[in-house]
Amino acid sequence: MQLKRVLTLRTIVATSAGLTLASSSFVAAVMVANYVLGDSAWIAILAGGALCFLAAACFSELNGLLPSAAGIRLYFSRAFNDQVSLTVSLLYMLIVVIGIVGVESLIISRALSEVFPAVPPYAWIVLMLMLVTGMNLRGLKIAGAFQDIVTYGIMLSIMLIGIFALYKVDFALKGPLSPGGAAGVINAVAIGVFLFVGFEWVTPLVEEVTQIRQISRGMMIALGILSVVYAVFTVAMTAAVPKEVLAASPAPQLVFARTIMGGAGAFWMTVIILATTLKTFNAGLISVSRFMYASAREHVLPAVFSKVSLRYFTPWVAIVTLFFVGLAAAGITLYTQRYQVLVTLAAGMESIVYTMAGLAVISLRRRMPEENRPYIIKGGSLVPVLTVLVFALLAAAVLLSDLRALLIMSAALLACLVYVNTAVPYLKKKHRSKKPAARRRPARVQEEVKGE
Amino acid sequence: MATHGEITESLKAFADSFNKNERLKIMNKDWDRVVLIKANDIESQHTMTLKNGVVSLKEGAADNPDLTVISDSETLADIFYGDISPTEPYNNGTLKIMGTEDDIIRLDFISLMIWGE
Repeated sequence: MQLKRVLTLRTIVATSAGLTLASSSFVAAVMVANYVLGDSAWIAILAGGALCFLAAACFSELNGLLPSAAGIRLYFSRAFNDQVSLTVSLLYMLIVVIGIVGVESLIISRALSEVFPAVPPYAWIVLMLMLVTGMNLRGLKIAGAFQDIVTYGIMLSIMLIGIFALYKVDFALKGPLSPGGAAGVINAVAIGVFLFVGFEWVTPLVEEVTQIRQISRGMMIALGILSVVYAVFTVAMTAAVPKEVLAASPAPQLVFARTIMGGAGAFWMTVIILATTLKTFNAGLISVSRFMYASAREHVLPAVFSKVSLRYFTPWVAIVTLFFVGLAAAGITLYTQRYQVLVTLAAGMESIVYTMAGLAVISLRRRMPEENRPYIIKGGSLVPVLTVLVFALLAAAVLLSDLRALLIMSAALLACLVYVNTAVPYLKKKHRSKKPAARRRPARVQEEVKGE
Repeated sequence: MATHGEITESLKAFADSFNKNERLKIMNKDWDRVVLIKANDIESQHTMTLKNGVVSLKEGAADNPDLTVISDSETLADIFYGDISPTEPYNNGTLKIMGTEDDIIRLDFISLMIWGE
């Protein structure tokens, strides 16, 4: 048996890298550079990438064991329980979406305002979100091959600009192995993890491939390529522009491109920012609206979110709701300019999810020992245990470094817990009371089965 | 455990309801798909074909399906009779669907249109 449409490794790598590569990644890259001394940011970035390989191995085993687009919702439900799974999934969607939309909006508005200063920054955000929402409502998708070209094109451009800058400033590593104190390095690595946020969001594609191992391979290749691209670009940025100047801008990549290549560089980078942000918004809207639709269908979110457009077969209520959530997140970020707290929150949340992925591998090996696993992490429990320890430490480090982020995370967790323990039972009860008492499946047939 | 006959009956109920629903037929007139339905606890395979907005059913497997729906016989019979929503077994891993995300959501939506929530 063979599915008609099968995804290639090239598309899996592009999807994993594409979901990860966001304009906000460069804000995080500058934060990483500021936590370490001299030009040693590459150490923290490569370390962050290497640690994500641990998490990728855990996701590969989970994905092979439970191949489903439901992803962490299913893994955590089987490994722990449904309440834990639902709470973490809701929190993850909330934090990562608000965080990424907030930071991306600020960057895109800043970049485009420089090109068109007469247009208010918020107008760009409204325009971008309307464009992506319109595309999603109509079910328009960027064709696979074109999406691959865009992602590989962006990575190549970033790499080339980075190499050109290093050549232009006649770069030589001054303190290649002197990143500074342990606290700074730990925080740098924790924020470095943010650079790879979303690489595992490729796992839902498992239903579109015939060889599950391709997803694992694709994730690993994407992580490897991104580690090198980010490391080169970050070192080039800090070599060409003082760290303080980069840190003061929400679009450091634009400052860097203008410094190195003048107006042409700024234009090129604006195009990259535009493509990257559109791609990130689009991927986020697709993933989260489908998550909301599925949650409404299992009666854990209000039924209104399961409404689907009769014309385009898209979950329009979920999409429109996300449009307004995006507008609010962008507006608040633009007004407060506190974009770094969003990066910290998303990095902390991602570390928590990776910790739980490690725990899920350990738990499911006990609960489902006989189940077929197309991918098993070698070395027994070493990798999952390391994943748990490392990402728990990083989550604690990154959240404790910013008390505002810790407070927001705690409040969001509390809200999700209250929702799961009060609203969800109410919604399920409401659904049960509406259901017809009699089953459609004929009782006669069931009695025959019992008699067999 | 449901029987092969029960799964067949549930699929017939699903196909009949679809074919009687003019709105669904118009909405899906361009959505030509081959769906393989396979039980993983008994020997039971069916192929449901949607062509020009009409659903037809035959026993046995198709070579080249667009979508493959795999679950235990009990869950399959319940889903296609509309006694349970496909989402819960899907989210707890009992139901596996192989195909594109858009096709999966379309199939779920058809089930929603036929049987309600």
